[in-house]
Amino acid sequence: MYYYIFDIKKCKKRSVVADIKNHLAALGISGEYTYPSTAYTTEELIDLGISKKYNTIVGIGDDMIANAIASKLVGLPEAMGFIPIEASSDLCQLIGTSSWREAANNLRFRKIAEMKVGRLADGSVFLTSIELDLKNPTEITMELKDCMIQGKAANFQIANYNPLIRKIGEDWLDIVFQTVDPKESGFLSKISSMLGFGKEGQNDISLIRARSLRLFTSAQIPILAHGNVVAKTPQFIECSDENLRLIVGKKKI
Amino acid sequence: MENSIDTVIGINVTVKGNLYNKGSIQVNGSVEGEVKSDENIMVGETAKIKGPVIASKVEVSGEVRGLVEAKDKLEINPTGKIFGDINAHSLIIKEGALFVGKSVMPSKEGAANETKSEPEPVGNEAKKEEAKDEKDSDKLGFFSKK
Repeated sequence: MYYYIFDIKKCKKRSVVADIKNHLAALGISGEYTYPSTAYTTEELIDLGISKKYNTIVGIGDDMIANAIASKLVGLPEAMGFIPIEASSDLCQLIGTSSWREAANNLRFRKIAEMKVGRLADGSVFLTSIELDLKNPTEITMELKDCMIQGKAANFQIANYNPLIRKIGEDWLDIVFQTVDPKESGFLSKISSMLGFGKEGQNDISLIRARSLRLFTSAQIPILAHGNVVAKTPQFIECSDENLRLIVGKKKI
Repeated sequence: MENSIDTVIGINVTVKGNLYNKGSIQVNGSVEGEVKSDENIMVGETAKIKGPVIASKVEVSGEVRGLVEAKDKLEINPTGKIFGDINAHSLIIKEGALFVGKSVMPSKEGAANETKSEPEPVGNEAKKEEAKDEKDSDKLGFFSKK
């Protein structure tokens, strides 16, 4: 019934793997344990689990394995479980716990939340957020359904779930970015802002909601999910039409 | 305007096209197109909008060139500038604000009360005094004719 995929890079301590297995056995929800290797990638293991008719695929690791499993399971009846090890705080909040023990307990209670996910052009998805790897402020252009938005961004994030942002609808992505004045990005302006002559307190944060967008940058920029490059600009990003069935904590809605 | 903001267009951001949201919108950057909300629209001091602004409540502290339609209330703050017609059930224009256009205030009976505003530089006290004489009820002096 349960198909477990351990991210061995995040499970460096053998004792942790053994502890998790023992705890799952004690809960009565042990199943098939697998590990990505040169023989089978994470994606191939997920396909294998689905083909073996397991109804719950559980990832053990960080955001990358969670996103990999979500990419395969979105729109399918199989449920996704997740036991966090070195996962982002946003993902831990999404599933309702940062403790692997509590997450394992939640698997047994099997409370399922149906949720949308963010999706990139290649079909890979993100449960929480992605961001642009901006070393310097960069011109960005977003094409939305009815408008085009431009600015020189210093920070840029697209969130499917960010606990700091109130969602207005489950099928909307939240786009948050910080811009700089394109005329004042030179050396002198940097010095003036360092000396306190900058225009502090101005509203340089933007928050846009969109179901889908096309993102362009003046130079090709990597797109990161939890610090890992998942794509590059230009990119099409959308909220999925289908739901993911994710096992969450008892307190999560 | 106590409701939380759903969409924020920051300073240094340019929007071309129509911006529509059921929730509140705050604009601090530039928009060329229609800005429409079912709730509130706040036009910040640094904002420049070329196009219609339509919402339940509209608060203007920046510049709008186009129709401003507020189903409930329109407030033009001292830094606010509107070059275009306004249509509001309730209207507040604060001292220092600039409004050039035609004002329509629909009454409860459905009939519209129309007022016209001629282009007038802010701070032209002489013209303001003339306007004051013409219409005592227009204390701010932005509506010279009825």
